[in-house]
Amino acid sequence: MAPVSSGARAASRPMYRTLLGILAAFAVALAAVGLTFSATRESPADLRVANGTEPKSLDPQLTTGNIESYISDALFEGLARYDAATVRPVPGVAESWDISPDGLHYTFHIRKNARWSDGHRLTAGDFVYAWKRLLDPSVGAEVAYLLFPVAMAEAYNTFDEHAATIAKKLLPALAALRARSPSGLDASSWQRFLSENKVNDPLRPLDDAALDALVTRRGGVTAAELDAFRAGLERARELLSSQAAEARAHFGIDRGVVARDDATLEVELHAEAPYFLQLMAHHSSFPVPRWALEKYGDRWFLPATLVSNGPFRLERWVVNDHLRVARSTTYWGKDEVRLGSVDFVPGESQMTNLNLYLTGALDWIPDYFPKQLGPELRKRKDYYGVAGLSVYYYRINTTRPPLDDRRVRKALNLVIDRAVITEHVLSLGQLPAVTFVPPGLAGYAPAASAIRSDVAEARRLLAEAGFPGGKGFPHLGLLYNTNEDHKRVAEVVADQLRRGLGIDVTAYNQEWQSFLDTVRGLNYDIARAGWIGDYADPNTFLGSWVTGGANNETGYSSELYDRLIRFASDLRPFVADPEPTLAKLKEPDPIRALLGPARTGAPSEQREARGKIRMLLFREAEALLCNDDFPVIPLYFYVHAGLIRSYVRGFTPQTMASDVTLGLRNLWIEGPRGAPE
Amino acid sequence: MSAGEALAVATGVTALGGVAWLPPRATRVCGALFGGLVAFGIARAAWGLPVGAVTGVAGAALLGRYGPATVLRRLTFLVPSLLLLVFVTTLLMYHAPGSPFAGEKVVSAQVEAALRAHFGIPKSAVEFFGIYLRRLIFEGSLGPSVKVQGRTVEALLAPALPVSITLGLLALMLASAAGLLLGVHAGLRPSSWSDSASTVLSAVGLSLPSFVIGSVLMVVFSLGLHWLPVAGWGGFRELVLPAVTLALPYAAYIARLARSGTIEVMNEDFIRTARAKGLPESAVVLRHALKGAILPVVSFLGPAAAGIMTGSFVVETLFGIPGMGQWFVRGAINRDYSVVLGTALVYATLVTAFNLAVDLAYAWLDPRIRSRP
Repeated sequence: MAPVSSGARAASRPMYRTLLGILAAFAVALAAVGLTFSATRESPADLRVANGTEPKSLDPQLTTGNIESYISDALFEGLARYDAATVRPVPGVAESWDISPDGLHYTFHIRKNARWSDGHRLTAGDFVYAWKRLLDPSVGAEVAYLLFPVAMAEAYNTFDEHAATIAKKLLPALAALRARSPSGLDASSWQRFLSENKVNDPLRPLDDAALDALVTRRGGVTAAELDAFRAGLERARELLSSQAAEARAHFGIDRGVVARDDATLEVELHAEAPYFLQLMAHHSSFPVPRWALEKYGDRWFLPATLVSNGPFRLERWVVNDHLRVARSTTYWGKDEVRLGSVDFVPGESQMTNLNLYLTGALDWIPDYFPKQLGPELRKRKDYYGVAGLSVYYYRINTTRPPLDDRRVRKALNLVIDRAVITEHVLSLGQLPAVTFVPPGLAGYAPAASAIRSDVAEARRLLAEAGFPGGKGFPHLGLLYNTNEDHKRVAEVVADQLRRGLGIDVTAYNQEWQSFLDTVRGLNYDIARAGWIGDYADPNTFLGSWVTGGANNETGYSSELYDRLIRFASDLRPFVADPEPTLAKLKEPDPIRALLGPARTGAPSEQREARGKIRMLLFREAEALLCNDDFPVIPLYFYVHAGLIRSYVRGFTPQTMASDVTLGLRNLWIEGPRGAPE
Repeated sequence: MSAGEALAVATGVTALGGVAWLPPRATRVCGALFGGLVAFGIARAAWGLPVGAVTGVAGAALLGRYGPATVLRRLTFLVPSLLLLVFVTTLLMYHAPGSPFAGEKVVSAQVEAALRAHFGIPKSAVEFFGIYLRRLIFEGSLGPSVKVQGRTVEALLAPALPVSITLGLLALMLASAAGLLLGVHAGLRPSSWSDSASTVLSAVGLSLPSFVIGSVLMVVFSLGLHWLPVAGWGGFRELVLPAVTLALPYAAYIARLARSGTIEVMNEDFIRTARAKGLPESAVVLRHALKGAILPVVSFLGPAAAGIMTGSFVVETLFGIPGMGQWFVRGAINRDYSVVLGTALVYATLVTAFNLAVDLAYAWLDPRIRSRP
């Protein structure tokens, strides 16, 4: 027995040591667990909202998505804000404003009791600083283009870069081209030169007719025309540089946007923009505290240092966990704000969001729930759905034969049955789209569209284009970015194209960044796209389709379309000389009738007539898209749908149509808070 | 990939391989130096430059004098391999389509140039590598994140790492306990109920994806029985479901490994000798067989621990846990280069540390291995 017992004792010590070691590790682990928990235990907020993914930034000038926009809207306030019920701009920081009869001068009167959260008074200078910052080229704000209606704003932001592009890229490329082809160019070489070098980009703001004629020309160019083009480019470069210098010298000082005194802000537009007040409710025009930015730089919007002027202030931000805002004590309208605190909860999994809502851990999920459950959720009492200002569509690559033939593009549009998609694939009450601009824009009547479900006509058009029954038609790829919902729509559309036209179509997907790359490089046949309007005006939808427009990405180019969009932004040249354009329009008479009141008549009559002409010009432009040229296949208009608990009061679904605000200022909690049924 | 980049990668790999041929003294010196460097880096990030410098020098001296050869050899490999990792990852990221600044609305060339200058992300991969290393060595920072603005990568990863480690540790302990118990029992009594149970567990745990397991658990325990919360992070109750979901596949695999290890060990001669000596069966198993049975489990646990602690994206997304897994995937999808490099560095360091721990544990468990340097 002796060898065993000594062996037992000898062997058990390392055993106990091991056990002790394991227990110690376990204790350490539990302590670590306790450490990670202690920081996050706190009382729940009054309102807990699901907010998609983690916000990128809280800087109002630098954010772009609606996730950040909802939070910016709670923390900051601009000159105007959206009224929750009517979704129209009403006074915010500015208690009133005056607009000149020609619509070019706005004077905003800022409230005397408008304050920043650290007590500083809010002044007109804060707005000048913010707008200059938005438009400063070195800041790189992606939404700077929204304030381009302001005089000199576009010059301040882009003209230096455009002049540099012309000098460093276009002129040398043109010289090389000229050396290679001394006798002029044929059509395809000229087109290739234009698109490879994105020639139209720097030239668009200048409105030079001679240059425009050459840039939109579909045919070839002679040697003499090439020389004239070079001279035109030199002229353009001079003009752009000088205007940029002038903007730097004057913008924010005595032109564009000026702080007349602490409580008066004067804005000068370079052309009338009826939607301008909506821009004042958009986060890009919100004021920012200069002293905080100068002191803290990039980190100024973090909880320790954020200074804001809105109905709420930032209390806590735990990345990937939640962001809490609490009622501000310095906001001018603090008595109207009834919510004490709001939690924005990021969540990548839509199913988890829904489960959190159903177990009472969230009070409101605006949109982030699994769409396949749409038909079930629509039956609930706490469901709401409101048409949004966004359109889901497919881009067609108009540079690739046979998609460069508009009969083919029209056939693609006519063979798709949109009702099937909205009723059976999506089933959240989306509206099928036969135009590009969503319905519901005040004052805008969309064009009569040639798009409808007509398989016979589609087949006839395809035959006329040289592909009877789809014979000889090349294989088409239908590209979408990786997403379950896009996949379902794409599969149905591909099937409809196959069965209706007899052509070979395959739906395929790429992940987001690769997808963007492919579309931008025009390496697709048909690609899925979506567009959310920045404000309620046709301009935000129709402005993309100009020749070489950054968000065009289809190769679509129409001189008439470019002209119509240009006139809609600045009516004066059109009113001065309307006939050449009117001759090309489909319905010139209503516009002609309005020209009289637009030129003479009382100031308010003139403004009304101008507004109507503008809307009619947009209607003509949209008619080019959905009656004549078909560079896109509109599919449906989005619906903003969500679930909200009944004890959240003051909520009106229309608020969600604006896509920039949750209307938190108007909400309050009343009633028992149990888990929903 | 350009010729220059390919050449750089080839050189790095060769240099790394060459480390294996260093004589023991050179290994000792290099290992001590690199160990001191790592200690300096960590201490400087936590407590500032002076404390960092002292810690670095002290660490190097201690390691050089007393460090075991195995550890020093690992440290010699560590720094060059991390360098190579950063370089190759940078190359791969730059060659992937897209960029951190691409979005649905096209950004003008001027805006993009301003953003690139601001974040220190030039168009050339090699230039970015230089900027990244300089920032890492001289400022001790892992760089700014492009997609979560205003924060550095270390500010993002620092709160996420303990969360993932906690969850991972708990899941690992659950998996080890359950897997070992079931596997050893099955190995000791083949064709019994525990053998069938371990087979079923392995099939279920290894073939069902974690989002299915997690969803089923959520439906049963949160939505059905209301015993546990659906998601979130903040208490012991929130830990249970994600830990079980994470643990299940590992438990299944550990059970299989333990079972086969046990069966193999129980057939060895020294077990028959112990039984012949008259030892009770429990002593035979606990004192003699267990060590051998655990060996395959231990070598699996090393990389498994590194993997489980850097977070599972699926489980974190499903249960709303602010852990590391999300930064891996989101960084790649968003092309947020600094986040990707930061998470890759953390993962590589963890893998190296756990592999070293596994090797040391192996040497302790099996004396036959101890004799190798």
